[in-house]
Amino acid sequence: MIGIYLPGAFIIGGLLLVNRNKMLSNLLVLAFLVLQWIFTVYEYRHINITEFNYFKLDALALLLLITLSIIAIPAMYHSHIYLTTKKDTPRNSAIYYAATVILLTTLSAAYLSNHIAVTWIFIEMTTLSASALIYHRRNNRSLEGTWKYVFVCAISITFVFIGILFLSFSLQHRGGGGLTFDALLTNAATINIFWSRLAFIFIFTGLTAKLSLVPMYTAGIDAKDKAPSPAGALFASVLMNVGFVGFFRIYIVFANTSLHSWTNHVILIAALLSIFVATVYMVKVKNIKRMLAYSSIEHMGLIMLGIAAGGIGYYAAILHLILHSFIKSSIFFQVGQVYRVYKSKSIYDVGNYFKYNLTGAIVMLLCFIWVTAMPPSGLFISELMIFRALFQSHYIIVMVLVMFFLTMIIWAFGKNIFKLLFAPPVGFDDSNVVKINPVESISQFIFLGLIVYLGINPPVEFVTLIQETIKNLPK
Amino acid sequence: MISLILILLASLFFTGLVIWTKSITSGRKGPGIFQPLKDVLRLFKKGAVYSKTTGIIFQVAPTIYFASVMMAIFVVPFGQARGFISFEGDFVFFAYVLATGKFFSIISALDTGSSFEGMGASREALFSMFAEPAFFILMGSFALLTGHSSFQGIFTAMHFTTKFSYALGALATFVLVIIAMVENSRMPFDDPKTHLELTMVHEVMILDNSGFDLGLILYTTNLKFAMYGALIANFFIGAIPWYLALLVFFGVQFVFAITIGLIESFTARFRMSHNAQYIFALSSVSLLIFFGVLLVLGKFI
Amino acid sequence: MINVLLIIFTISLLYLSIADRLLTYIKILAFQGIILFGVAFIELIQINPVNLALVLLETIVFKTIFVPLFLNYIIKRNKITRDSEPFLPNFISLIVITLIIIITFLLSNSIVDSSISKIYFIVSLSAIFSGLYIIATRKKIITHVLGYLVIENGVFILSLAVGTEMPLLVDLGILLDIFASVFLLGIFVNKIGDVLKDVDVDQLKKLKD
Repeated sequence: MIGIYLPGAFIIGGLLLVNRNKMLSNLLVLAFLVLQWIFTVYEYRHINITEFNYFKLDALALLLLITLSIIAIPAMYHSHIYLTTKKDTPRNSAIYYAATVILLTTLSAAYLSNHIAVTWIFIEMTTLSASALIYHRRNNRSLEGTWKYVFVCAISITFVFIGILFLSFSLQHRGGGGLTFDALLTNAATINIFWSRLAFIFIFTGLTAKLSLVPMYTAGIDAKDKAPSPAGALFASVLMNVGFVGFFRIYIVFANTSLHSWTNHVILIAALLSIFVATVYMVKVKNIKRMLAYSSIEHMGLIMLGIAAGGIGYYAAILHLILHSFIKSSIFFQVGQVYRVYKSKSIYDVGNYFKYNLTGAIVMLLCFIWVTAMPPSGLFISELMIFRALFQSHYIIVMVLVMFFLTMIIWAFGKNIFKLLFAPPVGFDDSNVVKINPVESISQFIFLGLIVYLGINPPVEFVTLIQETIKNLPK
Repeated sequence: MISLILILLASLFFTGLVIWTKSITSGRKGPGIFQPLKDVLRLFKKGAVYSKTTGIIFQVAPTIYFASVMMAIFVVPFGQARGFISFEGDFVFFAYVLATGKFFSIISALDTGSSFEGMGASREALFSMFAEPAFFILMGSFALLTGHSSFQGIFTAMHFTTKFSYALGALATFVLVIIAMVENSRMPFDDPKTHLELTMVHEVMILDNSGFDLGLILYTTNLKFAMYGALIANFFIGAIPWYLALLVFFGVQFVFAITIGLIESFTARFRMSHNAQYIFALSSVSLLIFFGVLLVLGKFI
Repeated sequence: MINVLLIIFTISLLYLSIADRLLTYIKILAFQGIILFGVAFIELIQINPVNLALVLLETIVFKTIFVPLFLNYIIKRNKITRDSEPFLPNFISLIVITLIIIITFLLSNSIVDSSISKIYFIVSLSAIFSGLYIIATRKKIITHVLGYLVIENGVFILSLAVGTEMPLLVDLGILLDIFASVFLLGIFVNKIGDVLKDVDVDQLKKLKD
């Protein structure tokens, strides 16, 4: 099926790029969504079958693919709204749609690929389409964001490639198929320690650009800030997941070698530093979208903490990853509306949101509660499990530190969100405020509901899939 | 013994050849190649004038400087033939006997009490300090490669069997040529022609020397060049018959002199503040040679 | 022979650290391309001829001719001043890059695996970190691209170490090289040069918190 999906999606992307007709482009986007869903359903029914040597849909890929397909629908819907309200030129719209389609396609392919080099190629391709989205507004600042993103990503993929080279050094038999994740896992016991240590360091450092962790988190911040909100929603959810896929598959290999505890320490340090950085900037930041981007860093840090702690932390990490994708994309969709009301993302220029957009304000309030992991949010469950895992693996000091940081983050987050919702805006002319149709918030409500459902009463199949994902990790 | 004679012979025409090359490239006819030697002989006939502010050091320093270079020449071998003296570790002796001479020329420059000379002395000391590790690391890597620590042992054991040792010889030549330029204060590190006090290095140090002393210092420059030329020639002589070796020796001296002439004709002097980094780069290059040797031998620390 | 070429490559890194002008950087990159051509030719002589031809073409046409010419064109077109404008004096750069080489050399001591030639490891890692150092300490955006190209050369050398056993990885390295260089330079020539005139990093400091 991937043999049909990839060419099909690329053809749709290509057509979108050359097409200037509005009607036709809407139809093409719809066609892509249909294709995406057919593909998802087909793969769901053919789990764990290798296609074209390099693609295999395992549980993790399936979970993330479904997440992507779910998020893709509102993303396209909000993109449509964004482009029509902004009255963009047909050329810019065409590039935007084409880039989004290519981004989603390469992401899906990267989830499915079972060969580290193939994953790498598709991650490389996501950079290309993402940069087109970041540069959508075509001004100085978006150019700056694009350049930084492209440059940091270029370095990061180089690092990943160096890591892959070191990984190939570490193999005993350097045959053709030695670098599939399955083969790596089978040969995990025999790999050379020195090279694989270097390999892990380089691959992990490289992937932090996509994962939004220290040290290469900066690229993602500017990208999420400068890209249009629907694209930002994709960056903050599915694009981060692709980094996680690359990381997690390698991590499974390393967890089965004697380097397991060493890798855990590396991850723990990166995670802790990420949460620290996120805290520092959350307190300081004055731009709503950048604040959300830093919040993504914090959540990714938590996920990594779960992985490093092990035990129940693995389960919690995967759960948190999926729930975070939903919540972060819905906030970004919502911020698009805020921007349309106030024409600004700065926290100084916004306020009294309840007065101007009641539904949107309710969504914003709920999103705040959800993203800071207060009950009944599903993230509460996953964070609780992560802390439990930390406690069980005797990372008490880490846990205390992280709890302290999280308190700060909740305070900073709340301060800004309440300013948006309740405090009166400074110098805001409310004579002709744009009316936002409440229909546009339906997808966010659905996502919020989904988070509660998956967190509190997860369906059995969902749980089995997560269990399946982490079955190769040592207990 | 034979190396001493050969170096003395080469020293007679070396600077002349450099000046001749520079003249030809700048479109002049140029003096005969023995003109510098004639200058030196003329100076030898004169008596020296000493400033009242100088002490005994100023008077003995040129002689010690000359003697130190002669001592250094004593240990330089000629292919298979040993130098005048030869013992294990004589390249250390070589470096430090040169350093002694340099030390005396520096303190004699300070002895005059002239601020210009002090400035020149400080620069000379700085540049020599940066060039010294390059020489030691280079010779150290050869000692490691061959397992000998005397010049004669190193050069005899350097059979050019592998391509690697050829390349090593070429790199070493490069480093030695530059060291020779630094030690003799030639272009592009220092321009002996311009007497601008802001940029002078060596020639400002000998402003107060006159007559016999000056002649001695000038002749020592020739000797030093010939000595480095002999060292470079030794990299290529190896174990070939003496008549060929003789040819190689003079060939190398000749090419070396012309190279210096060409470099001085076609490059501008480096900026004073950039000299240190270029000289230090030599040490880095020698370090790479050292690592290369370590890799080839499979020896790691 | 490979050892000699690789040592010369490393010397070119040292020269890079003390180079003042952008043109010198570009010449060094072209020179490195020639060295990589030599290394690839000797190392990969046994692999499939078509693949070998691809690798050699990439080193000689892309790395040695195309990229330097293109960089030169960019510098002329955007009227970038010729100085490299480092934040630190060149002397310190030289010491740092020498230290990088020493440290990678010492690090390579702890390798117990004998199937990989250590010199590849040392040279490529030195190139990678020197490239990062150049990116971190130079002011112009174009020097960032130059530093990135040095990293790419280092990666290429590293991929040659397993080149005979896994030619696929060398091809991937080439793919990365072409993709990233064309992409970065393309953005540079089309966008950055037009929007921001005299280009240095100070103009990319608007996005911050």
